Amino acid sequence: MIADISHYLSILSTAIFMLTFSLVLVLDRSAAHSTLLIKRSYSHAFFLFLISFLLYVYLALTDNFSVSYIAQHSNSLLPNFYKVTSIWSAHEGSMFLWIVFLSLWGFVFNLYNDNNLNVKNLSIGIISIIIVGFQLFLLVTSNPFEIVLPFAPENGADINPVLQDPALAIHPPTLYLGYVGFVIPFAYSLAFLINGNKSLNWEKKVKSWSVMAWVFLTIGISLGSWWAYYELGWGGYWFWDPVENVALMPWLAATAFIHSLSVASKSNVLRIWNLLLSIIVFSLSLFGAFIVRSGIIDSIHSFANDPQRGMYLLAFIAIILFVSLGLFISRFSMFDSSKNIKSLSKESFISLNNIFFGVLIFSTMMGITYPLIYELLYSQKISVGAPFYNAIYAPITILATVMLVVSIDSKWGRTIDIKGSFSMLYVSLAISLVGLVAIGYFIGEMPFIIMLSFFMGLVIIFRYSILVISNFLHKKYTNIPSVLAHTGLGLLILSISANSILSSEKVFNMKPNETRSFQNITVRFSELELLNNSNHDSIRATFSINSEGKSFFLSPEKRKYFARGQITSETAIKIMPFKDIYLTIGEQLDNGQWVVNVQLNYFIRFIWLSAAMMALSGLVIIKNIIRTKA
Amino acid sequence: MKSHRKKRLINVLLLSALSGAGVLMVLYALNSNLDYFFTPSELLTEEIPSNRRVKVGGMVQKGSVKRDNSTINFTITDYNKTVDVSYIGIVPDLFKEGSGVVVLGYLNNGEVDAEKVLAKHDENYMPPALQDK
Repeated sequence: MIADISHYLSILSTAIFMLTFSLVLVLDRSAAHSTLLIKRSYSHAFFLFLISFLLYVYLALTDNFSVSYIAQHSNSLLPNFYKVTSIWSAHEGSMFLWIVFLSLWGFVFNLYNDNNLNVKNLSIGIISIIIVGFQLFLLVTSNPFEIVLPFAPENGADINPVLQDPALAIHPPTLYLGYVGFVIPFAYSLAFLINGNKSLNWEKKVKSWSVMAWVFLTIGISLGSWWAYYELGWGGYWFWDPVENVALMPWLAATAFIHSLSVASKSNVLRIWNLLLSIIVFSLSLFGAFIVRSGIIDSIHSFANDPQRGMYLLAFIAIILFVSLGLFISRFSMFDSSKNIKSLSKESFISLNNIFFGVLIFSTMMGITYPLIYELLYSQKISVGAPFYNAIYAPITILATVMLVVSIDSKWGRTIDIKGSFSMLYVSLAISLVGLVAIGYFIGEMPFIIMLSFFMGLVIIFRYSILVISNFLHKKYTNIPSVLAHTGLGLLILSISANSILSSEKVFNMKPNETRSFQNITVRFSELELLNNSNHDSIRATFSINSEGKSFFLSPEKRKYFARGQITSETAIKIMPFKDIYLTIGEQLDNGQWVVNVQLNYFIRFIWLSAAMMALSGLVIIKNIIRTKA
Repeated sequence: MKSHRKKRLINVLLLSALSGAGVLMVLYALNSNLDYFFTPSELLTEEIPSNRRVKVGGMVQKGSVKRDNSTINFTITDYNKTVDVSYIGIVPDLFKEGSGVVVLGYLNNGEVDAEKVLAKHDENYMPPALQDK
């Protein structure tokens, strides 16, 4: 009954979003009364859809297993929290949430008044038709409301145990909020093109929206990385899995986008580039949905292998790209390229930064699609892994950081003054060289590329520290978000380098009461217990560890979940200032010994800390924009 | 040709040359870092240098899993030919005899020294290459 109501509300909402789009087409978009009508129509459609989703949450909470999707992905034994999160543990529910968020962004955008009514209404129309496209996808190919007839199962299957985890419960929603948030700059830039008045500063209008979506994407990707680290038991933070890559590409494009948004007013070339970027960012987000949802690529993440869904999404992306790029090209003459960029000015460096991001995005796209093309051409299965991405990302990042530290001394609209500018850079280079020698003393021999990375990471951090101090002493303005984000980048480079060179692991076979040692750490197998929990049994091994004079216990587990009979491993991690001690147990051998894996993961926390600094910098940007408006 | 036109032409040519070179470099990096996927039968018929990383997929042969200290040895089969694998480390929870496995590693005297052993996150998984057999 409630399932039917929820279903009907979704259908009704689709119809009203379609109505909103039609209103935008037929009404006089510059008039106040039609603006009000469009605004109301959109809000009604949104609330209907939201209520439909909330009813669906209620269905999940009350174990309504007559709904087939809930029966397959939830279980009456699950805690309430996971009954709700089970909704986005698989395809249909994820799409449902995705569209709720998509329409939510539009709803919030709709609340703000815009003095250019025509562009505002056009944006709402574009957002509405995109929502309709996704709603039809949901209702036709991925219906979450399907009913099991005639008898509902009693208990339901279960959410995959590796997904029963707080980080994973919030990782997909955050990621989706990021992905779909770029619908606002996309819709607004298209509306700007349709409207055709080039004096409108659309770049300024979409900045806070884009930064907000970027913050969500940053946090979403980091949460996924953190989850994979402690849940999968491999001890890594990034695996270059296709699904990680399709989240990384819109992030890179969005990072380039918010950099170049701030320089758009300086040159027409950059204005054109920005319009193109807003299309690219949103298309890459949709491409991510396509890759994950179509199951076209063999990945541990791929959820469903359904050609119909893939074809629908591919066609949808193709239409969006065709229309937006067509519009873009037809309005190309709006801009003349008379206003050129001065070489070695701040905007020239930002353009260069965009090229670096472009190379990374292109290479990642090649890495994802090349195996598909290769198999079609040579019918030989191949895959592209970490070595390729490392070969591309390491040198490009180092080049980009060189440009970054040079660009700090550059000025808007003026060529850099080579003689008088770089004194602070020279000081940072000197300090960093000392720092590098110190690092070399502790670590010993290292590959050249790692050495370079350490050096550039240090240069970035010292250069920005000196900048902050000097600005403070001279009472000059400091661009805090820029300092935060770029120091975060420096820290990221340092911690990735340190992690890759210092981390080590060792596999032992141990019986209870045996002791092993590894790199100044002693590991004693002290106890083995059997535990019974509400939805799983587990074997818990407790180890007493001694490291750097500190003693503590770590208890990794093996679990067997009742509903699916699935076996999972739980890692045990001790977080120390500069390293994690990371323990997993494997299976028991015939002689009674257990396979135990001990890992030392250095500086891994700093990787997420640097991502947090980047996200924080975005929040500061938004705070500043809101404050100047108020 | 007018001078600003000439300048523009040079710019366009330069830009195309640079992007062309960039694309070639990316392709080169791709080609030298590919992991080829083989079934045991394919592995035996192809010439593969020992410094080339390979992915081998198939089923873990029943009764082939042996452990010696921290090394685990097993045989991958495609129900036609087999290949032996040795690996140091913890195998995934879903690794078991008679079910699907993919290993990533290097060939060494006809044996695979695995860097990574993957069992699909799905108990019904069958490597795509074996599906028609």
